[in-house]
Amino acid sequence: MIEQIREKARELLESGELDVVIGYAEGSDPSRTTPIFCRKPEDTDKLVLDGRCVNTLPAYLNKRHEYPKKGWKKTGIIGKGCDIRAITQLVAENQLKRDEVYIFGAECEGVVAHPEKWDGSLHEGNCASKCSSCDVKIPLDTDFYPGEKPEVDRSGPYLVTAPALATLVKMDDEDRFAFWRDDFDRCFKCYACREVCPHCSCNICITDRTMPSWVDQAAHTKGVFGWHLTRAMHLVGRCTGCGECTRACPVNIQVDLFNQKMKEVIQESFDYKSGYSMEVKPPLITYNTDDTENYIR
Amino acid sequence: MRTATLQKSDLDRVIDLLSQADYRVIAPQNQPRLEGPDSIDVATFQEVQPGDSHNIGEGLSTTGIKPFLFPKDEPLFAYENRGKKVVLTEVSLDFPKTVILGVRPCDVASVSSLDAVFSDKNAGFNDELFTKRLEKTTFVSYSCTEPDVSCFCTSVGLAPDSDKGSDLHMTELPDGTLHVEVKTEAGEKIAAVIDSLLSGEGDAVARQQAGVVAAEKITRLRDSASLLPWLQDLNNFGDEMWQRLGEKCLGCGACTFECPTCHCFDIVDENSGNKGYRVKFWDSCQFDHFTLHASGHNTRNSQFERYRNRFNCKFKIYEDVFGEKGCVGCGRCIRGCPVNLDITEYMAEVAQKATTSAS
Repeated sequence: MIEQIREKARELLESGELDVVIGYAEGSDPSRTTPIFCRKPEDTDKLVLDGRCVNTLPAYLNKRHEYPKKGWKKTGIIGKGCDIRAITQLVAENQLKRDEVYIFGAECEGVVAHPEKWDGSLHEGNCASKCSSCDVKIPLDTDFYPGEKPEVDRSGPYLVTAPALATLVKMDDEDRFAFWRDDFDRCFKCYACREVCPHCSCNICITDRTMPSWVDQAAHTKGVFGWHLTRAMHLVGRCTGCGECTRACPVNIQVDLFNQKMKEVIQESFDYKSGYSMEVKPPLITYNTDDTENYIR
Repeated sequence: MRTATLQKSDLDRVIDLLSQADYRVIAPQNQPRLEGPDSIDVATFQEVQPGDSHNIGEGLSTTGIKPFLFPKDEPLFAYENRGKKVVLTEVSLDFPKTVILGVRPCDVASVSSLDAVFSDKNAGFNDELFTKRLEKTTFVSYSCTEPDVSCFCTSVGLAPDSDKGSDLHMTELPDGTLHVEVKTEAGEKIAAVIDSLLSGEGDAVARQQAGVVAAEKITRLRDSASLLPWLQDLNNFGDEMWQRLGEKCLGCGACTFECPTCHCFDIVDENSGNKGYRVKFWDSCQFDHFTLHASGHNTRNSQFERYRNRFNCKFKIYEDVFGEKGCVGCGRCIRGCPVNLDITEYMAEVAQKATTSAS
């Protein structure tokens, strides 16, 4: 499959239709892959696509990462189904124009939960939990897909996949608070969870604002809770569930559990699943004059 | 100084005895994890009590010992507005007598890099929050026998069995015993406390051999001798390599906060009503607002420039100012990087460029 993508990417770079193709290349040790920006046709020889390709590359299409400043007229990007869901969401939120990107998709067999768990192959013991109920293994929106793309029924509801969430929800408030307080003790606010997120797209994050300071910047209990709860709330109805925030956390805090819970809430309250439509707007960032709720008017 | 043998199974007793001798004992410990495939093991240095579990000798901890000398956040003083008067309350500099047990050679070597910045040895200013903690801290180090794929201590002048900065150094021998070497007076005191557990003179030959065997397991080998002259040549500041390798950096601070030698901090006032604290907390040169001036000008305006700064800080600025490297090769910045930006790839490129330009 990657051969066909390489071939197509090479062709589009040669013809000048694309300025760059963002994909995955071999990383600096055998358990890892790393993002690569192919500008020359021959760079595409380095492209790989397998269970080690954990990164959500649309993070690079994020305004926060100076995407518009790069001067690329048209960007090619290789995506797993969940990554492409992030692109769909960025378009729905007017953060990106669909015709600015050219999407290479391929069938995905799942990815490893963390490079540390890679032992040469992908199996039940090391596959990320998000893959267990994935309905975009055949990606939704693609410009290039090797072979015939089968029709897939994606009408089902969002399902929480992390087994840990069931445990946490069952705890009483005090125990759950104690759990997070202890886990957050490791958080030093490196903001890896923010930087890898395709949807954390504010030019200046509210936690970086100091006049006034909304969230304590220091990584004490209050500052850490302030950050993670703000982050969780700002992603409600927007998070597409790639799980990169958890995977990227250098101290292994499962921060996406908040997002998974909120995705379930949004599903129940608004019957909305993020990342499946460029037209349907996320419920918490839209305003309708004929809204039946009047608390905001 | 003295050498001896200690049974590995007696490490729990070591914790008991040190606690009885009024030491606060810090040791690496596995943290409780949630179930499911997304859960990854994590070990951190924590205060341990007699009977607590620890994982001394099992791999390199996820984070190092930096927080015990330079915490991720700490108040400098408290203030309170009382009418027209502002009342300031200093923080206590009376830190507990502490022993850090099972610290790896890279981590214990990093203390000298922090000391270079925070003590008045070089900088002319003595940060007592650091130096007073350091005075009260004794380091019991533990050689690595199983370095992993990201370790590169041998490329920066250290080794899996280095004892630089250690007060008392332990090396696990193939027979499961520990060869103990007392290095300093502070180490003597520890040896006196655990004297009942020490026997004989150890096995210096087996200890040497264990170090050699461990070093052979390190696969990331880089020539760091060429780094300084290449970095000092300012023509190379604009080399195309910086942008090419640094382009994928997303600008989080994982590398700097996991780094045992990174030491940048910020200071803010945290106000609540008419009182509050002035707080010192970790900052990162990888953040986009780190060098943002009040005017709006940013001296490092793109991400690759920020990583170039980090690399220069480790291998040029530290050498120029303090005469030593600011990197101990622990590899945490490699393991922790979300996009696999690898400091040793820069090292390899520089070495190659330096060789090419010399020939």
